Amino acid sequence: MKVLVINAGSSSLKYQLFDMKNESVLASGRVERIGMDSSIVTHEPVGKEEVVEVKEILDHITAVSRVIDMLIHAEHGVVKSMAEIDAVGHRIVHGGEIFKNSVIVTDAVKSEIRRLFELAPLHNPAHMMGIVAVEMNLPNVPQVVVFDTAFHQTMPKTSYLYAIPKSLYKRHKVRRYGFHGTSHAYVSDVAAKVLDKELASLKMITCHIGNGGSLTAILDGQSFDTSMGMTPLEGLMMGTRSGDLDPAIVPFVMNKEELTLNEVNSMLNKHSGLLAVSGLSSDMREITDAMDDNEEAKLAFDMYVYRVKKYIGSYAAAMNGLDVMVFTAGVGENSVVLRKAVCEGLTFLGIELDEELNAKRSKEPRVISTPNSRVKVMVVPTNEELLIARDTYNLVK
Amino acid sequence: MIKKVGVVGVGTMGQGIAEMLAKNSLDVYMLEISDDRLKHALNMIEMSLDKQIEKWAITSSEKKLILSRIHPISKMEELTVCELIIESITEDLEQKKEIFKQLDQVTSADTIIASNTSSLSLTEIASATRSPERVIGMHFTYPVSSIDMVEIVRGLKTSEETVEVTKQFTEEAIQKKAVMVFESPGYVTTRLICLFINEALHVLEEGVATAEDIDNAMRVGYSFKLGPFQMADQFGLDSVQAALENMFREYGELKYRPSIVLKKMVRAGHLGVKAGVGFFKYDEDGDRVE
Repeated sequence: MKVLVINAGSSSLKYQLFDMKNESVLASGRVERIGMDSSIVTHEPVGKEEVVEVKEILDHITAVSRVIDMLIHAEHGVVKSMAEIDAVGHRIVHGGEIFKNSVIVTDAVKSEIRRLFELAPLHNPAHMMGIVAVEMNLPNVPQVVVFDTAFHQTMPKTSYLYAIPKSLYKRHKVRRYGFHGTSHAYVSDVAAKVLDKELASLKMITCHIGNGGSLTAILDGQSFDTSMGMTPLEGLMMGTRSGDLDPAIVPFVMNKEELTLNEVNSMLNKHSGLLAVSGLSSDMREITDAMDDNEEAKLAFDMYVYRVKKYIGSYAAAMNGLDVMVFTAGVGENSVVLRKAVCEGLTFLGIELDEELNAKRSKEPRVISTPNSRVKVMVVPTNEELLIARDTYNLVK
Repeated sequence: MIKKVGVVGVGTMGQGIAEMLAKNSLDVYMLEISDDRLKHALNMIEMSLDKQIEKWAITSSEKKLILSRIHPISKMEELTVCELIIESITEDLEQKKEIFKQLDQVTSADTIIASNTSSLSLTEIASATRSPERVIGMHFTYPVSSIDMVEIVRGLKTSEETVEVTKQFTEEAIQKKAVMVFESPGYVTTRLICLFINEALHVLEEGVATAEDIDNAMRVGYSFKLGPFQMADQFGLDSVQAALENMFREYGELKYRPSIVLKKMVRAGHLGVKAGVGFFKYDEDGDRVE
């Protein structure tokens, strides 16, 4: 069975085609600048040369049609005809409280996703355009939706409720949802397999640290708590996002600086985090490269690490122990310096990093703690697309 | 679907309209009568975007993206790629008619031509064209980027289709509230707000209260963002006077007659924010200093 995985943004669309026989990737690519004159399609068929095409693609329907053309192209294609695509899996950022698992797309599912537009106004409408575009191009192919929030639906009330008037939860569903769920689910599963242990027997913290970042406490194989909240702004300090702050700062600053809602939202989401503190960059690589002789970059790094450590400490306390800690995503998988700094001073928890193993570069999941370390520290490259393909396959087969 | 929009005349309002359109991912084609004015408009838009970066509203890469969507042009023929054209030249009937006559000739029959006029007759502007059914009013309110309301004005011959497409464009593509009005001098906004300002001027003339106190009464007491005098300073006192005079002429009712104080201030050149002085004083950035 061949499964096409799609991640549709408002003006972009990423795709990967999997052969589920051996879970191999046949081709991947992306369409950028949808809706503009010069849209760019980058198609990377495995074992063949990359193709880049610039042409006008005005909507998602045309974008999906271009993707299919690429996949069945005589020269750059990887399948003979459209009929070989057996199912399509979509990444959906917000599944609200309704979707606790991946599901096959039906009219009812679509209207639920529409109803969730107000919780994820930037993402869900774009995903919906992706679903409709596939429907138009591949009318009889089953589609599956996989939600970033679904994995965290196991959180207990103590973790997901905010201490604010109950009516806000009832009326507007104000609560913690958490994000990066597909990634946390995937890496925790792989980590348990690598250690040859039952996931349910492990107390685990997964650190998904990329441009955005979130930590999840996994207890009995389920998400018990996670650092992102109702929106992806809460929790860790991130590239351009502030993470946790005293909520009273928001009205105070709005008043003092005469800011509108949009401006204050943009300030906290796009002008804060590493970028704001360092005054240099939102990119962790640039921060770590500069921090030897740039005090502000060093401060930004230290604050960032300190926040991660605070969350690790609190989740270890919440679970009354810790067996495994996993680093994943862009920064988590690649920043030797960050992993070292986070693990330093956590020996009381039983964390002992093996510096040599930590410094070794690899694309494989691996343990980077010493044999004596009570807590196994691991690096597990994330692969959300594969998990989406698997869920799609399992629901459709 | 409307993806490319022309803006003819890029003074203060035109600049705001162009910037707002580009921010909403639309391609904008700006036309002015001289290169200097075009350059000036681009500079002003850039300055406005820089101010927004300072206020954390946008990032510098967003600024780049917005500017890349704004295309200055020097010939009316270049507007043929647009599905919608918004005229925002100075509020002069004869000049507007001339522009619409030319636009009618160079654009195809399915292009919508809109005017940002605040008080002139749409029907009369449309009469300069051979296809008045595609002429409509889109009256934006200053500052365009932050006031999420547009008066959609039907002329006598504006077609239902033109109205529908314009309404949909306003509510979906640029996400502003569309208020539907039939042609009438001053529509809803200009008519009510100018009367409000004129009445405030009478209160001031009669010595009932100071400008500051009148503004405070309405601002604090009735949750207006700005009081009538600061509002008038923002609009430009000459524009307020012109709008009142036009409505006075059209309706023939005394309540629209511009107050003497207003006329005096316009004669003295105290036009408000753009002159640095009106009822209050302003610095170069347009921020109130006293």
